[in-house]
Amino acid sequence: MRKSFLTIACLYGMMLVSAFYWQLCSDIDSHPANPRYYLVFQRERGTIFDRQGRPLAYSSAGEQGYRRTYAAPSLSHVVGYFHERYGVTGLEQLFHAELSAGRSVFTTLDLDLQKKAEELLGGSTGALVAVRPASGEILALVSQPCLDGNALEENWAAYLADVRSPFLNRVTHGLYPPGSVVKTIVLAAAAVEEAAELEDKWDDGGTLDLVGGTVRNFRGRAHGEISLAQALAVSSNVVFGQLAGELGEKLLSYFRLFGLGQPVGCELSNQAGLVPESIASPYHAAQLGIGQGELLVTPLQMAQVACALANRGVLMRPYLVQEVRGGWRLRQITRPQIVGQAVPAWVAELVKAAMTLTAREGTARVERAADLDYAGKTGTAQLGSAPDHAWFIGFAPTDAPQIAVAVVVEHGGTGAHAAAPIGVELMLHAVQMSE
Amino acid sequence: MGLLYRTWFGLTGWLLAAVLCLFVVQGQVVWWQPAALWTLFAVLWFVTRTLGADPGALPVAAALVFCGWLFLTRLDPAFAHSHSWGVLLGGLLYLFGLLVPVTGWPLTRLWGGAALALLAVTALWGEASGGARAWLTVHGVRFQPVELAKVFFVLYLGKSLSRKRPSWEPVLFLGGFCLLLAWQRDLGPAVLMFLVFCWLLLQQSFSWYKLLACTAAALVGFYGSVRLFTHVENRVLAWLKPWEYLESKGYQVVQGLFALRAGGLVGQGLGQSLVHVIPQAHTDYLLAVVGEEFGFLGVCALLICYFGLAFWALRIADGLAGEEQVIALGLTLLQHLQVFLVVGGMLRLVPFTGLTLPLVSYGSTSIGSQLWMLGLLAGLSRRGGQG
Repeated sequence: MRKSFLTIACLYGMMLVSAFYWQLCSDIDSHPANPRYYLVFQRERGTIFDRQGRPLAYSSAGEQGYRRTYAAPSLSHVVGYFHERYGVTGLEQLFHAELSAGRSVFTTLDLDLQKKAEELLGGSTGALVAVRPASGEILALVSQPCLDGNALEENWAAYLADVRSPFLNRVTHGLYPPGSVVKTIVLAAAAVEEAAELEDKWDDGGTLDLVGGTVRNFRGRAHGEISLAQALAVSSNVVFGQLAGELGEKLLSYFRLFGLGQPVGCELSNQAGLVPESIASPYHAAQLGIGQGELLVTPLQMAQVACALANRGVLMRPYLVQEVRGGWRLRQITRPQIVGQAVPAWVAELVKAAMTLTAREGTARVERAADLDYAGKTGTAQLGSAPDHAWFIGFAPTDAPQIAVAVVVEHGGTGAHAAAPIGVELMLHAVQMSE
Repeated sequence: MGLLYRTWFGLTGWLLAAVLCLFVVQGQVVWWQPAALWTLFAVLWFVTRTLGADPGALPVAAALVFCGWLFLTRLDPAFAHSHSWGVLLGGLLYLFGLLVPVTGWPLTRLWGGAALALLAVTALWGEASGGARAWLTVHGVRFQPVELAKVFFVLYLGKSLSRKRPSWEPVLFLGGFCLLLAWQRDLGPAVLMFLVFCWLLLQQSFSWYKLLACTAAALVGFYGSVRLFTHVENRVLAWLKPWEYLESKGYQVVQGLFALRAGGLVGQGLGQSLVHVIPQAHTDYLLAVVGEEFGFLGVCALLICYFGLAFWALRIADGLAGEEQVIALGLTLLQHLQVFLVVGGMLRLVPFTGLTLPLVSYGSTSIGSQLWMLGLLAGLSRRGGQG
């Protein structure tokens, strides 16, 4: 009887141990055959709000459980989407645990501005990002083409077939040569390194012969005797090629100080871009100084640069999520975070003045925004045979910047024609809205 | 011990009164079912104690039956309704087992013959349900004769295995029993009976030859049934590699495991599980629902209750001798090997056999015979002087 008892005890022990294993140690929760795994797509979920409390993504009850609705198609690259078949992306993915527990996510986005940015970029392929310089809050983030989170089923085949790859978030993952917008960094670096007397006049003959090659102005135009600020305003390749040549490898450290070559550290994953390790020749330096060569940046990085110039040289970490709230747990609040002082304040002010001149008289001048006091810089990244990428970075108003933008229009032509109007119009809208 | 029982009944009585008040206030119509269950077990307890038998099984059995009632109500109140009648019937069978002595009857082969006759009748005139022809309808009452036949057979084994002179007769009876069940395509009880028989045989007098013979018979039976019956082969495949047959053979096993895993430590809470994806949740797979809603702790509690019953029953068997001891041990094994086959089948320790979880699962015949077995054990405890 004792043996029988022990054997029965063993059997119960085996049952307990295997129940322990299957209930607490096994790894079958997210097995595709587990219907519980898909239930989350039918449950109610926390709302994602914009900075004024307007919902960007919310759950509404339908016949087959809850369904997610998005306020604008362009949000697919920021807020992401949440779909039973196509998965979870963006903030929906990053804050999945919180959202599925019913907590709300309050973002720094402004729905008005986001919609305006989407409208301005329109059908062209490109990226637009607006950031608040003092804090790094991302106000709008649009990458075109985008996915419509409300109509994924209908359009999925078309998205897959689209050669412009709508799945790519061009703001965070698009890698572009910066073109002339990088001249703002060269000017700042030259001012800090005292590479040139700031009051000096430069002679721009239209071409610059260096060991290894010749740098030419856009369309070979000669600008004559100009100051550094004017050189920025007309985007003189000759002057900035020379400046970069004199700075040499020091230029690379300024690129890094402005955050290039490393991820910006916002919530969404983002590309580091590419800053070369060394400079081989003055011609190589000149190429980098005018934003050609192997230098690669994301629009978000250039927006961060614009912010630093607007923000007296202080580089802020861009961020998207202000607060996570709801449920029984404490609120999570994001504080603005300083990455570092890229350049001294006076240098930033000097570049700002030159960019203001560019906006008033130079390439970044936009007729429709005559009464907006803004600073800007255009860029035209040349790609050899393909049409150029158009760039614009800027901020407004100049005395107390509220918004900084970076715009890329792929194969759009010159920055002055394709990108600057979009960026300036968005800044105008933002400034008018806040008034 | 007596104080402990009184405390247990007092506590559950108060708790039940509170629950009933809640039911009545909320207008729930099922309030009489838990009330009847509790009253039944309280009455059985007093009767058992008055007769000088050991009432120790009743609080634990009540907990298990109550758990079963709760989950059946949660699945479908109609199940719980008809199950309640099954429990009341089981109460009568418990009293029958307690009061009517089953040992010392003159005709040795009576019980064995009755068991075989029941199965033969079922095999001839039975109704099929879920693949096995295991149901019999007599005067509009539908029941599973095999549940009674199992008990009859153990009663027969008690006589024949306790005899001094060994014979081949019980082996022949077992062969007939298993073949009749195979004819009905209902192999779960056959496996259970075979295991009980082997255990009792080895318990009486152990020898390596017997063990070898049992193992050989098991292997031959296993191989033969796998080759003969596709549903047995499917069950074995579902046991060995359920992940390869997610949508077909392995569906029930895999869904049961998902449910258990979803329960985690403390469970999702009553009524929060995804029961509609588990086939036969109210009979075969009730424990998966318990595991999902009450978690590992709930499963532990259930297994501890069963183990308590085993402890109680073996304590009685220990005080007995001869035929009575064989019967007591046989009934205990019948109950707890069935628990092992069901729970182990769900947890992939053994192939799933499709038996019901004793005292918990839906099924009037099943719960009736389980309570009858407890009654028989309690009746035997009067003779052992352990009460």
